[in-house]
Amino acid sequence: MNLIKIFLQAAIVDNAILMRFLALCAFIGMSNDVSKSIGMGGAVTFVTVLASAVTWPLFHFVLAPLNLGFLQILVFILVIAALVQLVEFFLKKNVPSLYAAMGIYLPLITTNCAILAVTFDNITKGYDLAESIVYSVGASVGFTLSLVLLAGIRDRMKTANLPAFIKGTPSLFVATSLLAVAFMGFSGLIK
Amino acid sequence: MKATLKESASLGLTLALFAAGACVALAVVYSITAPTIDGLEKKQTEESLAELFPQATSFQLMPETLVSADPAVRFTESYVAVTGPGERVGIAIKAFGPSYGGDASILVGVDAGNGIAGIKILTLKDTPGLGANATSPNYFVDRSSGTTWPMQFKGKSLSDAFEVKNDVVAITASTITSKALTRIVKAAGDAGYARLKAFAEGGK
Amino acid sequence: MKRLWNIFSRGIVVENPLLMLMIGLCSALAVTTSVQNGIGMGAAMTFVIFFAEVVISLFRKLIPNSARIPIFIIVIAAFTTMVDLVMKAYTPDLSKAMGVFIPLIVVNCIIMGRVEAFASKEKPLDAGVDALGMGVGYTWVLVGISAFRELLGNGTLAGIQIMPDAYVPILFFTLPPGGFLVFGLFISLNFWLKKVFPAAADAAKEAA
Repeated sequence: MNLIKIFLQAAIVDNAILMRFLALCAFIGMSNDVSKSIGMGGAVTFVTVLASAVTWPLFHFVLAPLNLGFLQILVFILVIAALVQLVEFFLKKNVPSLYAAMGIYLPLITTNCAILAVTFDNITKGYDLAESIVYSVGASVGFTLSLVLLAGIRDRMKTANLPAFIKGTPSLFVATSLLAVAFMGFSGLIK
Repeated sequence: MKATLKESASLGLTLALFAAGACVALAVVYSITAPTIDGLEKKQTEESLAELFPQATSFQLMPETLVSADPAVRFTESYVAVTGPGERVGIAIKAFGPSYGGDASILVGVDAGNGIAGIKILTLKDTPGLGANATSPNYFVDRSSGTTWPMQFKGKSLSDAFEVKNDVVAITASTITSKALTRIVKAAGDAGYARLKAFAEGGK
Repeated sequence: MKRLWNIFSRGIVVENPLLMLMIGLCSALAVTTSVQNGIGMGAAMTFVIFFAEVVISLFRKLIPNSARIPIFIIVIAAFTTMVDLVMKAYTPDLSKAMGVFIPLIVVNCIIMGRVEAFASKEKPLDAGVDALGMGVGYTWVLVGISAFRELLGNGTLAGIQIMPDAYVPILFFTLPPGGFLVFGLFISLNFWLKKVFPAAADAAKEAA
């Protein structure tokens, strides 16, 4: 029950993009095409879950006992960068088809702040390992969801007749704003 | 092959040197800032206690954790406020309970007389501009007297109903936050009142 | 002198990291609900980008090409942690208000982008000036957005009541959707600035 709650909270109520403004670079850069946004979502989900599974034990069994909590930022970001590298090597060698599909997104993931934020949240929210994993899955599902939603809206906006001052990038943010209004409706869903 | 081995060794060494440099620099900064950071929370608690019981001269951490009658509210530490001549004037309880945006914590002061000495909201993660108005110094339930939302509990009797929109003024458009916080205050108030009564009867 | 000025001014409008390059957006939207937050975040970010650019520029000849990304990350992370610790110790309220977004400076693409594209090739003086330009460009947008959102959403500026008592704050602007909307309008404004002052744009293009 508690795990379901954490999942919904991360995916919808505290949606990483629309409610917490995380990963906006990827959000704006990768949402011009629905299939591309699904690919990006998949890659992010994979790395986020893996990163949570590695950083949680690292913090609780290495950094915290040694009183090295102040190295958290440095260690976590290096872990994520290394994981992205590893995943890239592994996919290139063993699953070339998946690499061809996901490869271009991988280098962009290191600087995706949603991943780093999720690994920090796992610690500050005091989650145990299972809760951390569920939280990271939820956050990435929420990320993918809003990415796909915006990609769909952008498809329609291509043919829409917009006022001149809002054409181009500004229109993306106005659309995002409306999406966020819709997601505001979910707050209070979980108490 | 040999050349690449040498190359990667030097690469690794450079990396290690940079990492070591960074760690040393951070350790220095950490050793300077750590005492201040650790002292802050203690200072916040002390200041809040002094605000709730200005007449008290010392606060004793109670050895036991009080038990909440309300299952949704839990308590951590509690303090007994003592004046110079050794008279107990009240109890302050740090209470946690669910609110709109996650757990909120409130320091609730109960005085030996009739009820709540005052409350201090320590953490609240509710929506800025709505529920978060509970902690805003610029949000008033009564603008003419400058009463903020937490201030309305000062001197409130525990025999009151503690009903939002009845004897507790709600925060505009934030009934859930108002109810959640009032519930925490009520639970802590009751527990503190019971403990004070036990003190008075036990004499100790 | 002219050259340095051109490097500096580039970041403010023409190559403004937030409005033109669309990078480093997360913190710009998340913390801009009050002017204090905007200034604090801008200062923290400027500190990190300045020292990261200068340090990397100083050591640029010692950094092997194939290991440069991890080294950049280490340097940026170190300065970010310093800012985080210092703010936690001396400005606890500000640090609490910004929460996870201070540590997240480490993945701010502006810093990584400037370090990679500029500091790793240029002299420390130029790198420092470039960092300050980017920092100022970032900070003015943050302060602008936060002033707009705080004034309409809360009726105050930097915590001081500005609007008359009768004004009912439009909460929308302090909530997430308001952030997105205001940011979209600011991009629109920057496009307009660029159209109205084409001379500045040309000067900066020459410098680049």
